[in-house]
Amino acid sequence: MMRRVRALVLRAAALVRGGRTDAEFAAELDSHLQLHISDNLRAGMTPDAARRAALVRLGGVTQTREAYRDRERLAGLDTVRQDLGYAIRVLRQNPGFTTAAILTLALGIGANTAIFSIVNAVLLRPLPFPDPDRLVMIFATNATTGNITDVASHPDYLDWARAAAFERAGALVSRNVTIDHHGEAEYLSALRMSASLFDTLGVQPALGRGFRPEEEQPGAPKVVILTDAFWNSHFGGDAGVLGRTLRIDEDEYTVVGVAPPTFRAGIRAQEQLYLPLVVDPNRNHGFLQVVARLRRESTIGQARAELGVIAAQLAAAYPRSNANVGANLMPLVDAMAVHVRTALFVLLGVVGVVLLIACTNVASLMLARGTARRRELAVRAALGAGRLRLIRQLLTESVLLASLGGAAGFAVGSWLTHGLASLLAHNLRPATIPRIETAGIDGRVLAFTVLVSLLTGIIFGVAPALASASPDLNRMLRDDSRSTTPHRAPLLRRSLVVLEIALALMLLAGAGVLLKSFVALRTAPRGFESDHVLAVDLWLPQPRFAALADRSRFYGDALSRLRATPGVVSAGFVADLPLNGGSDSLAFHIVGRPDPTPTQSFQAGFNIASADYFRTMRIPVRSGRVFTDDDRPESPGVVVINETAARQFWPNDWPIGHQIALPLDRDQPEAHERGSGNTNPNDTTFTVIGVVGDVRDIRLSSPARPEVYLDSIQAELPWPWAVLAVRSVGNPELLAGTVRDCVRSADANVPLLRFTSMDDVVSKSVAEPRIYAILLGGFAALALLLAAIGLYGLVSYAVSQRTHEIGVRVALGAARREILGLLLAQGLRLALVGTAIGILGAVALTRVLVSLVNGVQPNDPVAFASVSILLIGVALAATYLPARRAARVDPVVALRCE
Amino acid sequence: MLIWVRHMSDKTDVWQGTLALMILKTLEALGPLHGYGIARRIEQTSANHLVVNYGTLYPALLKLEQEGYIASDWGVSDHNRKAKFYRLTRAGRRQVEREIRDWERTTEILARFLAPRRQS
Repeated sequence: MMRRVRALVLRAAALVRGGRTDAEFAAELDSHLQLHISDNLRAGMTPDAARRAALVRLGGVTQTREAYRDRERLAGLDTVRQDLGYAIRVLRQNPGFTTAAILTLALGIGANTAIFSIVNAVLLRPLPFPDPDRLVMIFATNATTGNITDVASHPDYLDWARAAAFERAGALVSRNVTIDHHGEAEYLSALRMSASLFDTLGVQPALGRGFRPEEEQPGAPKVVILTDAFWNSHFGGDAGVLGRTLRIDEDEYTVVGVAPPTFRAGIRAQEQLYLPLVVDPNRNHGFLQVVARLRRESTIGQARAELGVIAAQLAAAYPRSNANVGANLMPLVDAMAVHVRTALFVLLGVVGVVLLIACTNVASLMLARGTARRRELAVRAALGAGRLRLIRQLLTESVLLASLGGAAGFAVGSWLTHGLASLLAHNLRPATIPRIETAGIDGRVLAFTVLVSLLTGIIFGVAPALASASPDLNRMLRDDSRSTTPHRAPLLRRSLVVLEIALALMLLAGAGVLLKSFVALRTAPRGFESDHVLAVDLWLPQPRFAALADRSRFYGDALSRLRATPGVVSAGFVADLPLNGGSDSLAFHIVGRPDPTPTQSFQAGFNIASADYFRTMRIPVRSGRVFTDDDRPESPGVVVINETAARQFWPNDWPIGHQIALPLDRDQPEAHERGSGNTNPNDTTFTVIGVVGDVRDIRLSSPARPEVYLDSIQAELPWPWAVLAVRSVGNPELLAGTVRDCVRSADANVPLLRFTSMDDVVSKSVAEPRIYAILLGGFAALALLLAAIGLYGLVSYAVSQRTHEIGVRVALGAARREILGLLLAQGLRLALVGTAIGILGAVALTRVLVSLVNGVQPNDPVAFASVSILLIGVALAATYLPARRAARVDPVVALRCE
Repeated sequence: MLIWVRHMSDKTDVWQGTLALMILKTLEALGPLHGYGIARRIEQTSANHLVVNYGTLYPALLKLEQEGYIASDWGVSDHNRKAKFYRLTRAGRRQVEREIRDWERTTEILARFLAPRRQS
């Protein structure tokens, strides 16, 4: 075995060395013959006879030399080397073709490399934890809403964690906090996590320690772990940071650890701090993301089965909270990217289609050249090259071309990756695609590119190679291009062009549909007007603003100052801004009406607004009135509801004047999500005084929910955050300084967190559909360009083939217009067939897109029709250019030339 | 006629195998020798039953050299002619022993088959 390997290695080396050993063997043969001849001479032969006898016994010098050479090298590889050399020469002789092909391939392969490297970073690369395949995420499922990626309650998490299939489990939730750093307030994203999370993930803090279980209890000493980035930005990477304190949410927290630099647990936003999870025994309150590590011997299937049993047990034991709650298990790497998986795979499919079009183009080009080279191939065939040998030669050219295209594509792809990744990351902020910043070139991406290049070479090489390698020798060796019979481009080329057009139409239709849905989203009625409005996020630190009186005083003070400011049209406070994810849902009763079910009250989103809020946001008042300065804290409670609430709760009645009762529990507002039966004498009643227009609260594509607004000076709900909306005369952002001054005058220590214009908020809410429309649009445009080039090439070829025939026609009296019409009709026919086929593909694609982006209308006839017209227009243009050349053919020249 | 059992496949393969053994044995018996000499010697040893082109020797010599059983050097023959001499390497020696053993075992087995028939 080893001997054979040794021989193989030497033979491979000889391949490279080439002809140097030829000389040595020639010398050896020569010496052999000399020895034989001298023996013969000594035996008495004449010199001539001696020489002849020696040669005869040797058995032919040429054969011997060939047999020796075959053994010396690897015969198969030798022919490959020959083919390769020949291919290089051929490509170099046709620089136009070679450049066009390489460019086309580079674009196609590059796009694929870029998208794949993003898919690789986000979906394929294992998570940077020990034994990452054992990590899973457990979601709650809600049978009533159909949500299977819901958040879990703390007691549920603890119960799930007890499953035997898990080695450990941990939970986390994202929370925004305010910190006080050197007097400046900052609003950051933080992560509250259980003490077990670091262990579950297998992470060791870089400095200090993780949380201890006792720190999860309410009232425990306040501790915090810093992220590496935060440690560097706020503590200067000081190694003595442990034990120092940080002011978070008006409390002093002690730093007990620093996380390792590469650790990042947040999925939707980049966290800066870690705080301990606070135990919450309320099974109704779902807010946690749960991560678990499977035992080595357990499988996901087993874990799923166990969780199913546990969930059923919980549903039976706690029907009020868990009746419709189940558990959904998913590998962590999938769970982290669950909101972008489909999108990324669709993108991968799209660039695959673009590459296919590019391949088709190059195949078309190669077919054209194959026809031009048929004489050369015929000569080779006549000289004895077998069909297989010719095919191998042509395939070698294709693979070489594809490799060059792949190398260029690799360069294009790496450049494109960084551009794309930062485009996606930037446009989708603050929601993020996990790990996208790590998208880059690694071994897997390289392997992918190589594989794609090879496949590409084979795909576009096979058909032309097969077609060209069996020339009709007789016909080819004769010169018969003087044929006057009208011949069309071969069926294969025409089919390829039709395929390209169909694929391009498919992508265009997809882009068109996305674009349409994006535009619809952008222009959808929002319920408010966002121009000239500045939104300022505030934090009302507890316990200073725990009392309603303190809050009302602050609101009133700030608002009166703002109203007096020139440049301010109006200003108001609200707890939850539109398009911000929606207000918290609370349970309430309608006075005089029984609850819908014994265990559930009515549910609506509850927001808090000050008197001028509706006017500031230009939310229309449909009936009744909104809060005014006359509504004082002591006045009877009033609420304003939105149209959806009016329609839902008082469908056949006039809601104004009716009353609702809200069980206000100052300590645990979240506990009232499910409700507890009928009106309680301790509930506070509110009268409905007005109905306002619906406002999109979650996102533009979600329909409005029923919403109830409490007056800010009457609401006993201690929500510590508020948003100040200010409508300005001019550019809202210019008022930032003035607004800050007014608020600070009202209260010097209220942290002002974020200043955004409402227009920006709206724009960000459509960021996702916008970016997808842009990306798909870009690739579709590329596809269209490639298809147009393909069609142009085909028609040019047809024209050049038919120059003679056209000359004859013109000489016989055909008008130039007729020639033009003839060619245009041909091009149009191809375009129409392609479009028809493409529509079928478009139907399939748009169906996929529906799951990707909200609000997409599949099979939208307007979108399909418009892109079809666009495509046919481009196709006609691509046909027209070469056709015009044909119409200008000088019959004398055409008839003369060949 | 040579009887062979080793490869029940291509005749050329087998022939090459036996040729290789003959070359090795020749070198073992005679020491370093050039290609022409080896060819002559094989012819003699087979008492001229083997009539084969000398040219076929060279690919076989090359294969043995690539496999490391023989090594080559340029030298001078008895009549002062320049020639490429081949000699057995240590691995070659071991290979000769091994192959001889295999052949003897083969012929012994075959003898059992053939002997009873001859007796009857």
